[in-house]
Amino acid sequence: MVVLDQISTYIQLLVQTVSDPMNIAILFGSVLLGIMFGALPGLTSTLGVALLTAITYGMSAESAMVCLLAIYVGGTYGGSYSSILINIPGTAASAATALDGYPLALKGEAGRAIGLSTTCSAIGTIISMLFLVTISPIILHFALQFTSFEFFLLAFFGILISGTLTTPDLVIKGWISGFLGLFLACVGRDRLQFFPRFTFGIPELDSGVEVVPVLIGAFGIPQIIQVLKDRILVGDMQKLQRIIPEFRTLVRNVPKIVRSALIGVGVGCVPGIGEDIAAWVSYGAAKNTSKHPETFGKGEITAVLSTEVANNACVGGAIIPLLNLGIPGSPPAAMLLGALMLHGVTPGPMITFEHPTFIIECAAILLLSSMAMWVVGITLAKQVVKVLRIPAPLFMPIVGILCIIGSYSLGINIWNLYLMLPVGIVSYFLTEMGYPIAPLVIGVILGPMADENLRRALMVSKGSFLPMFTRPVSLALVLIIVWMVLVQIPSVKKFKNKAVAKVFRKRARKSN
Amino acid sequence: MLEKEKLRKADVFSGAVISLFGLWIVSQAFQMPMKDSWGGVMDVWFVSPALLPLSIGIILILLGLMLCRIALKAIGLGEFRNAVRWLLSRRLVWYLTLEATVRFYAMAVLFLTLVFLNLPRIDFFLDAVLFLFAFITMFYFYDDALMKKFLLLYLAGEVAFIIYFALGFDDILNGIHPFSTDILALCFLVGYVLYVWVSVRRTPDLRKRFRLSLVVSLITPFVIGPIFKYFLLVPMPKEGLVVAVLDYFRYLEFL
Repeated sequence: MVVLDQISTYIQLLVQTVSDPMNIAILFGSVLLGIMFGALPGLTSTLGVALLTAITYGMSAESAMVCLLAIYVGGTYGGSYSSILINIPGTAASAATALDGYPLALKGEAGRAIGLSTTCSAIGTIISMLFLVTISPIILHFALQFTSFEFFLLAFFGILISGTLTTPDLVIKGWISGFLGLFLACVGRDRLQFFPRFTFGIPELDSGVEVVPVLIGAFGIPQIIQVLKDRILVGDMQKLQRIIPEFRTLVRNVPKIVRSALIGVGVGCVPGIGEDIAAWVSYGAAKNTSKHPETFGKGEITAVLSTEVANNACVGGAIIPLLNLGIPGSPPAAMLLGALMLHGVTPGPMITFEHPTFIIECAAILLLSSMAMWVVGITLAKQVVKVLRIPAPLFMPIVGILCIIGSYSLGINIWNLYLMLPVGIVSYFLTEMGYPIAPLVIGVILGPMADENLRRALMVSKGSFLPMFTRPVSLALVLIIVWMVLVQIPSVKKFKNKAVAKVFRKRARKSN
Repeated sequence: MLEKEKLRKADVFSGAVISLFGLWIVSQAFQMPMKDSWGGVMDVWFVSPALLPLSIGIILILLGLMLCRIALKAIGLGEFRNAVRWLLSRRLVWYLTLEATVRFYAMAVLFLTLVFLNLPRIDFFLDAVLFLFAFITMFYFYDDALMKKFLLLYLAGEVAFIIYFALGFDDILNGIHPFSTDILALCFLVGYVLYVWVSVRRTPDLRKRFRLSLVVSLITPFVIGPIFKYFLLVPMPKEGLVVAVLDYFRYLEFL
């Protein structure tokens, strides 16, 4: 009965959303804008969500979610255009697509590759939507039994795992970035004792740092500086033929699609890890299990399929921890969290009590977004790729103005700009020195959760850390955190690698 | 991102900076109450607001030191000494005047002057047009010599504005005429546009780019601005001359 109830609510919300012409206009407009943001090298879906957050200020929470989820889905997919046509990934998520997408375009199969990436992206999003609907009640059931220790450890785990997996250089740098974000979250009056921390007597800092301007600064400003400083020039674009949806290829590769979707959802669920990692993991899995791994990198169609299903499946995956635990699964999901709070929705275990249909509503919007993305992708791709000809020095300053007006309009406070710009410039230097930005952002978002829950937990336990080791979930989290730290020590790493190699050797011997 | 070898050299310094920053956090945390009452009856350490900052500070000190150690181990003391020598030598000046570095300065100047100087004091639309036109013309011509020329002119104008505001001329002139500062900004904008035109008029390709830059700079603020001002009802950071004109047309029907 409960399942039937949920399905009827889902259909009801779907119809309700579709029946409003304004929502449809927002849906298609946002998807189109998202695709353009994804396609243009230097712009990302995170930045798209960040900039549109300001525009959704005057909308209802439902319309805002239509707008932001649509741009997220469109942006993740749009990156494949530039990957396939000019061999420059529009977003990090589509970097793996370029490896085989561009060789396909060189063979004169760009239309086929884009058609396949369009359909695969839509399928990936839909599968992740199914996971969102089915897994959420289970997670919520467990999350309601979480105590403050679990929430503190979850926040801590989120920052560490994000630092570990998103760092382009040393893991330690990812952690430093995460703790810098955690420090930023400490600025302002603490929420339990209302003591001003790091405010220097500035009243504007009393309420703490605003999340959205920090996110806009951290993702927008470094992007603008990098693209224009290094003068990234777009090469010749390959010719785009008729876009073919490639249904036959899909039918032949159902197991690969399912595997890639599972990878996408799984990676998406891990806090702070983006679509790029999902795509690379999926690409690796496709290559390792292929009968002809030598064709990878030379225009293998299943490689495009695997990466595109995975990166879009990551969208729904990233929303699962966001809505159920208040922990964003990816940088764009972190932006979504800021937007949700702006619209009075606080994600977390209480979401089903405060907004009973919100998760199902998000699932319905994901389905609509994927459908809109497919329609726009198949019908307007030829027109959309024209944006790739716009030179970066023309659109980057416009993005700069949008970052500024967007940060200012959230709270109508010029102080937001005084915060956004220094954060942006510092983030640029951090990026140049190999520090990832995603953990910093995750730190800013999860900081209040970590701070409040740590002290609340200690209040309940009267200063004892023992419950951390007696509760199964918190013990598991402690063990994972300890393992994550230990495994970075060279001697432990060596030991782990040896053990893994031994296991694989044994398996290989057995299979022989 | 820097190359791996340069990255390791930079890591020694960034690790040290991070450690010092962690030390500063710890010193600040020690100024917070270390114990506090809970429920009005207890005086306990675990409700202290310093708990998390203290932990973050200590962790950052440790991570910074570890980063320093890893980087020093990777490059060796000799290379580190070379890096220090490089920092103290004239080659640093050479690096700081590289064209890519100048491009960074140009962007930093554009953003910093817009946010900290112009936006709080000059009409938003004028700020936006000036920012966009200066930004686009500095980069869209793909000519570093031209960029330096334009940057110098822009910088001169902004320095003049700093003096103008610092000496309080804006209060005096705005007392005589309410939009004096905006009129001055408009004059600077027109002067900048003319200077760019004179600099590029002999090259047909650059002339075309100039026209496009001007069109984009003029259209963008007048598309974005009204959306925020009239659709989202967000008042602009500073509403002056142009906003007054737009308001006049917007509310014409009520007159």
